[in-house]
Amino acid sequence: MAQHNLSTVIGFEFLRVVTKKRFWLTSLAVPLALAVVFALVFLSNAATSETAQAQADTQLVVTYTDDSGLITDAVAAAFGGSEAPDPAAAIAAVKDGTVDAYFAYPADPSTQPIRVYGVDKGIFENGAYAAVATQMLVLAAQQEIDAPELAAVVQGDVTVTSETYRDGVVSGGLDGVIPPLLFLVVFYVSIILLGNQMLNSTLEEKENRVTEMILTTMNPTTLIVGKVLSLFMVGLVQMLTFAVPVVVGYLFFRSNLNLPDVDLSHLSFEPGAIVVGTLLLLGGFILFTGTLVAIGAMVPTAKEAGTFFAPLMIMIFVPFYVVSLIVSDPRSLIVQVFTYFPYTAPVTAMLRNSFGSLSALESGIVIVELFALGFVALRLAVYLFRYGSIAYSKRLSLRDTLRRSRA
Amino acid sequence: MSASATVAEPLVHIRNFRMDFGTQTAVRDLSFDVFAGETFGFLGSNGSGKTTTLRALLGIYQPTAGTLHIAGKVFEPRDGARLGYLPEERGLYKKESVLDVMVYFGRLKGLGRAGATQWSRSYLERVDLADKADVRLDKLSGGQQQKIQLGVTIMNSPELLILDEPTQGFDPVNRRLLMDIIEEQKRAGATVIMVTHQMDEVERLCDRVILLKDGTAEAYGTVEEVQDLYGGTVVRVRCAGLLPASDLFDVARSDGDLADLAPRAGVDEAQILAELVRHGVQVRSFTTARTSLEEIFLRVYGTPSEPVGV
Repeated sequence: MAQHNLSTVIGFEFLRVVTKKRFWLTSLAVPLALAVVFALVFLSNAATSETAQAQADTQLVVTYTDDSGLITDAVAAAFGGSEAPDPAAAIAAVKDGTVDAYFAYPADPSTQPIRVYGVDKGIFENGAYAAVATQMLVLAAQQEIDAPELAAVVQGDVTVTSETYRDGVVSGGLDGVIPPLLFLVVFYVSIILLGNQMLNSTLEEKENRVTEMILTTMNPTTLIVGKVLSLFMVGLVQMLTFAVPVVVGYLFFRSNLNLPDVDLSHLSFEPGAIVVGTLLLLGGFILFTGTLVAIGAMVPTAKEAGTFFAPLMIMIFVPFYVVSLIVSDPRSLIVQVFTYFPYTAPVTAMLRNSFGSLSALESGIVIVELFALGFVALRLAVYLFRYGSIAYSKRLSLRDTLRRSRA
Repeated sequence: MSASATVAEPLVHIRNFRMDFGTQTAVRDLSFDVFAGETFGFLGSNGSGKTTTLRALLGIYQPTAGTLHIAGKVFEPRDGARLGYLPEERGLYKKESVLDVMVYFGRLKGLGRAGATQWSRSYLERVDLADKADVRLDKLSGGQQQKIQLGVTIMNSPELLILDEPTQGFDPVNRRLLMDIIEEQKRAGATVIMVTHQMDEVERLCDRVILLKDGTAEAYGTVEEVQDLYGGTVVRVRCAGLLPASDLFDVARSDGDLADLAPRAGVDEAQILAELVRHGVQVRSFTTARTSLEEIFLRVYGTPSEPVGV
């Protein structure tokens, strides 16, 4: 019967959220906004590309003087340039529009500026003069080196691969940090998306005066567990709604949207960090859920519940104020406090787990703490609902409610 | 529930029940039984402890002291499949459709989806709300919502039906409909406990009653026993002329030309009739009747009680 009721509650609570127009309007607002941004980027890129092509097709007519002696005729010709016999005449030619630009290369370009004189073609197109002047010099310098590999090195066009070791075993480095950090992202998204619903989940029974009907029909634990599970399912639907357009955009329109080509094959999935991250995520989720549901069972209205919501949200963002310490000095007092204080522990511990500074012992303590307090909070939520939610219009006294439950 | 409940053993058994809220006592040393198949009236003024007793009986409150059993044991939510409870503070999920809410509660009470849907549609048809099946509850009137709530209460054919002020908010037509439904449940074998302030409903439906005052039982027994306890027979006269002051009777109620006269101890109806005639009162009709429950209620609860509870 309890299992039947649990599935009934989950079905009812899940369907009554996802069948509402408002849910889809809210959920689709973010991907729709993303789609609009993507579309604008796409159109903008197309326009930029056309403009760039048009600019590339337009050959500048330039003259130059070269005190450095680096510019060769061949390089200059490739950019549509010819040497000017006299700087003053060259500047006069620019002024009367006979040529587009005149570049005066100094004797030592490493310490002296290249002076550029050009016909004003607007703030953006004028930038092309400096680019062409610089590129002419770079190309000329590369030809002086006369070795492509040296030219590439000089330009810094090299690739570096790193391998680091921890306890004699290869560690993931930055590629190993990213996967455990995903648990932190999931934690934030789920709490931000679902926090308010968690808070209001039992308030509805009170505000609608359904409590007595519920309490005489099923075990309140079943109701609360059912509500939490359905909330989790709703959260998954929302996350998928957000993620699908991003994934589709990345997979099929990456080049049009100028998205970086991330090579996921480099990511390192360290089993220990993944397991700890999973447990921290679950423990943190249970703790915050239990706390929010307990608050909801304690207060009479959504308005009053809201006053408790902000402090809890602050708790999950506070660790970011000391993120540099979390990364660089995890033994500092503030980081230790944040690691073990229950409501800052999930974020701090997940960050430390990602950066590899959370020891096995610390992981164990935080995980046990989160699960233990999470179950206490859920039990408390059930107690408050069971023995206190009948006081429809009053905020409960925790002490009185617990005393009454023991009577 | 039925397994341990027999005719001889009470279905509901309450002994020495006491309920304190902080320093205030809502119910003190209350004892009574309700037997299977009977309709039991739970009467009392506001704040006399009726709802508190029902909530404690159903495990919503933890009693300060005493025994509260249904079918020989403390009620647990898993027994709810055979219970129909219409609470005083009532409401349903207002943002959901009528049918969804009814099916949800039907399933929680052990019905299958198809069975709950079929029952709900048939009930809505009966109470003239068939066209509202897909309408959100908060779009219905208060009376219509009450009908839905009653449907949810009885949809599992409960063995024990507890109704806390069931006619509250009903117009006379719908009150009649509700009474008919309760009578049907009673005929189907349900035991009914009814809290109400409508004394005519009690006289029509109830086998036995308990009157609570300030958390204690003021009277307990069959309707007739309680009526006898509070004056028994009254003489109902329709007459012209002023009623005389007399040592033989008290005027219990007077409304136009109709009056209820309560005979004093040792006085019979014939003596009263002779007294009226002797004083020149033109008696048009003269009947005897039991003291109405309403009269008893007014007599017992003449002083309003202070409400106690959460």
